Amino acid sequence: MDPLTLGAFVAIVTVFVLFSGVSVATGLLIVSGGFLVVFDGMRSLELMPEMFFGKLNSFALLSIPMFIIMGSAISSTRAGADLYEALERWLTRVPGGLVMSNLGACALFSAMSGSSPATCAAIGKMGIPEMRKRGYPDEVAAGSIAAGGTLGILIPPSVTMIVYGIATETSIGRLFLAGVVPGLMLVGLFMAWSVWSTWRNTGLSVMSDRRYSLREKLEILPRVIPFLLVILGVLYAMYGGIATPSETAAVGALLCLLMAIVIYRMWSPASLWVVLRDSTRESVMILFIIGAAGVFSYMLSSLFITQSIAMWISGLDVNRWVLMGAINVFLLIAGFFLPPVAVILMATPILLPIVLAADFDPYWFAVVLTINMEIGLISPPVGLNLYVINSIAPDIKLKTILKGSMPYVGCMVLAIIILCFFPAIATWLPELVMGPVI
Amino acid sequence: MTQRPSAAAGGRGVDLFLRVVGGVSTLCGWIAATMILASVLITCQMIFVRFMLRQSTIWQTETVIYLMIAATMLGLPYVQKLRGHVNVDLLPLYMRPLPRKVLAVFVLVAGVVVLGVMAWYAFENWMTAYSRGWRSATVWGPRLWVPYLALPLGFALFILQLFADLVALLTGRDRAFGLEDA
Amino acid sequence: AEAQQLRLSHQWSTADVRHKVAEMVAEKVAEADVGLEIRIFPSASLFSATEQYVPLSRGQLDMTVYPLSYAGGQRPEYNLTLMPGLVRNHDHAARLNQSPFMEALEDIMAEDDVMVLVHGYLAGGFASKGDCVTRPEHMSGRTVRAAGRAFEQMLAAAGASISSMASSEVYNGMQTGVLDAINTSSSSFVSFRLYEQVDCFTPAGDVALWFMYQPLLMNKSTFEGLSEEQQQALRDAAAEAEEWYLEQAKADDVNAVEVYRNNGVEIAEMTAEDFEAWRELAMQSSYASFLEDVPDGQRLLDLAFEVE
Ligand code: NA
Ligand code: NA
Repeated sequence: MDPLTLGAFVAIVTVFVLFSGVSVATGLLIVSGGFLVVFDGMRSLELMPEMFFGKLNSFALLSIPMFIIMGSAISSTRAGADLYEALERWLTRVPGGLVMSNLGACALFSAMSGSSPATCAAIGKMGIPEMRKRGYPDEVAAGSIAAGGTLGILIPPSVTMIVYGIATETSIGRLFLAGVVPGLMLVGLFMAWSVWSTWRNTGLSVMSDRRYSLREKLEILPRVIPFLLVILGVLYAMYGGIATPSETAAVGALLCLLMAIVIYRMWSPASLWVVLRDSTRESVMILFIIGAAGVFSYMLSSLFITQSIAMWISGLDVNRWVLMGAINVFLLIAGFFLPPVAVILMATPILLPIVLAADFDPYWFAVVLTINMEIGLISPPVGLNLYVINSIAPDIKLKTILKGSMPYVGCMVLAIIILCFFPAIATWLPELVMGPVI
Repeated sequence: MTQRPSAAAGGRGVDLFLRVVGGVSTLCGWIAATMILASVLITCQMIFVRFMLRQSTIWQTETVIYLMIAATMLGLPYVQKLRGHVNVDLLPLYMRPLPRKVLAVFVLVAGVVVLGVMAWYAFENWMTAYSRGWRSATVWGPRLWVPYLALPLGFALFILQLFADLVALLTGRDRAFGLEDA
Repeated sequence: AEAQQLRLSHQWSTADVRHKVAEMVAEKVAEADVGLEIRIFPSASLFSATEQYVPLSRGQLDMTVYPLSYAGGQRPEYNLTLMPGLVRNHDHAARLNQSPFMEALEDIMAEDDVMVLVHGYLAGGFASKGDCVTRPEHMSGRTVRAAGRAFEQMLAAAGASISSMASSEVYNGMQTGVLDAINTSSSSFVSFRLYEQVDCFTPAGDVALWFMYQPLLMNKSTFEGLSEEQQQALRDAAAEAEEWYLEQAKADDVNAVEVYRNNGVEIAEMTAEDFEAWRELAMQSSYASFLEDVPDGQRLLDLAFEVE
C-alpha cells in the first residue's frame, strides 16, 4: 500500500477506534500496535514501551502537572472565588465580561507557560466553575477556556516555537516575538466572539442585577493581592534569570500551595490531599495521552505517512497561495491526529524548503503553523485541551465542549486569513526589536 | 460504580477481589501524588541551590523526570478506578444495551491485550537494563533499571484494575461505559 | 524488483553537516544502482536524540549519525570519545580514527552488533555571557551547561556550577541569565542561535578542548546481510563522505567564528598554555573518574595517547 492510501486508512481506523468508547490513550496504543504489527513486523512492538518512555522523558512536560497544581490550589481556596468576585464587581456592565477576563487570564498565563494543556488546566480549574455558577452556558464556559488555553504555544514562551526554531534553524527569539501580536489579535477575536455570543444567547441575564458602588469595587481589591503576588513571583522567577520556563512552573505550584496554606489557612491534610488527588488524576490522564500519542507518532513516522503527504504537497505545481492553502489543510488534518511537536518534527523539514522557495517568511509561517496546531488542540480525535477540560469538569459532555470551542476554531481560521493579507502582523515586532532578517 | 447486589453474580469472593484491587489502585494513587509533590519540591530546591548558593545541580532534573514518569505509571490504575481516563463514547451512546455491553467487553479486552504487550516488552527492557548494568549517560549516572521499573509495574497494575473492571461488568456490578440503560 | 530500503535516523536539522553526510551516502548509494535505497529521518522524527543506539543494536534501525558517548551509560568505554584534551585538532582526530584505539572501540561496538561506516569528529568550544572563558579559573562561580559527562566533571572541578538542562531549554536559559556559559559543538552553537544571547565565544582554534566522535553507524548484521555489490557501494560512499566530513568539520569551526563575529560577539582564543591547564585539571577529574569506572580503561587510554 502506498503511504498516502495507508494514511487515509489510518485516519479512518483511528476515528472509529477512538469513538468506540475506549479511553483515548489506550485507543491510540491499540491503533499504533495494530498498524505496526501489520505493516512493520512483529518486532516493532518491542519498541512501543521505549517510545512511550522516551516521549515522557522530557523536563518540559513537567510544567503540565505543576500548572495543574497551581490551578487546583487556587481554585480550592477562597483565592479563586475572590478573584472572580472582584472581576464580577468590575465587569458587571459588560456582557460576557467574565469570559473576557478568563480569556485575558489565559493570555497572561500563556506568558508564563510554554504549553497549551498546562495553560488550559490552570485557568480552567478556576474559571469554568465560576462561569457556570454565574449562569454562563456550559458551552461558552468550556469552549472559551479550551480555546484560550491554546494561546500557551503562541504567546511566548512556547515549547513548539523552540522545537520549530531548532528544526528549521530559525531564531527562537525572533519566533517568540513573532507570536506576540498575532497572539494578542487572537485574544481580541476570541473576546469579540464571546461578547457577541453571550449577548445573543442569554441577553443580559448573566449580568447581575445589582450595581456595585465604587466603594464595593475598591473594597474587594486587597483580596486579590495574594493572587497577584503569585503571578508576580512566577514572572519574576522567569524573566529575572532565576529559572527556565519549565522550572518556573514548580515555583508557581509551590507558591500557590504556600498561599493556600499560609494565607487561606488550608491546614488540614484532608483538604491538601484533595488538591493533590485532583492534580494527580488530571496529570496522569494527560501524560498518559501524551505518551501514547508519542507511540502513535512513531507509527506514523515509521510508516512514512506524514512525510509522504508533505512530499506530495511539495511536488504540487501550483500558485503560491494555492500551495499555502494546501499546506494549511495538511497541517489542520495532521493536527487532528497528532500533538503539535510531532507535526513540527515530521513535516517542517519537508515543508519549510517549499515555503521558503515560494517566498514566504519563515517566521510568518511559524505563526500560521502554530495557529493550525492550536486548532488541532481543540479538535477531535486527539485534542489535548478538550480532554483537559473534560477532566476538570467531568459533567460537561465532550460534545458540549466541542460545540463550544468550534466558533473559536472559526476565529483562528479568520486569524490565519488576516495574517495572509497582513503578514506584517507577525513580522513587524521581531523586525522592530531585532532588525530585519539578514 | 453502582452496586446492584440483586443482579450481581459471583458472590462475596468477587466483591472481595474487586475491593482488594481497588485498594491497591488507591494506594498507587497515593504514591503517585506523593511523587508529584516531591518533584515540585525538588525542582524548587534545584532553583534555590543554583541561584542562591551557586552550586551544581546534577541530579535534580533527571530525578524529577523519573519521578514524573513513575507517578504517571503508578497513577494509571488509580485514574482507571476513578474512571478518569477520558474517552469519546459516541458509538456506545447510539447502541442498544446488549451490543453496547459486548462492545464494552471487547474494548476492555483489546485494552488488556495491547497494555499486556507494552508491559511485557517494558519488562524485557527492564531486565536488559538490570542485567547489563545500564546507567544514564549523565554525570550523575543513575542505574537505569530503577526508572525503567515503573513501566512494567505500572502497566501490570493498570491491567489488574482493567481486569477487575471487566469482572465487575460481566457480573453485573458495573454498567457498560457507565451509561444508563436507555 | 523494488530496491531494498534502509532506514537512517538522526537528531539534526537538514541544514546540519551531519545530515549532509547522511545525505551524501544515500545519494552515492542510489547512484551506484545496486538496488539499495536509504531513507533518512532527520530532526529526531523517528527516534529521539539520545535513543538511537538501542534500536540500532537490535536491528530495528539500520543506520544513524550518533555521538557515541550518548551510549556511554551502556558502554562506559565510549566516554573516551568525548574527553577533554584527548584530541588536539582535526588532523589528530583523523589519525585517531585509523588507529588501534579506534579498532578497540569498534570491537566493543561489534559486541552490540554495531559497526562504523563513516568516522568523524566535530570540535566545539565555549560561549559565555560577560567575561570570556579561556582558562579554568574563568569558570569559578558561573553556571554552565556542558555537553558530556567528562566535561561536566572537569568544569565542576574548575569551580563552576553545573546545570543539567535539556537542549531545548538552553536558549531560554541563556536569554534569562539562568546560565552564564555553555559548552557544545561549533555547529550546535550556530544552529541553536546562541549568538543572539552571548557576549563572548571561545571557538575551536589551533588547539581545541572539545572534540566529540560522531560517526555514521550501521547495524552489523544488516550490513553483512547485503550483497557483496551493495556492501561495496556503501563502503565507497562512506569513504567519500568521510573525507568530506573531515573538511566540513574544519569549515564548521571557521563558519561558527564568522557567524559569531558578524553578530557582534567577542571572539576569544585559547592558547597552548591554557589548553595544558585545562588538561591537567581534566586528568585529576574526568580521566580519574573514567579509570575508576572502566576496568580496562588504562589500556584504552594508553592506546589513545600513543596516537600522535
Ligand atoms: Na506561552
Ligand atoms: Na486534534
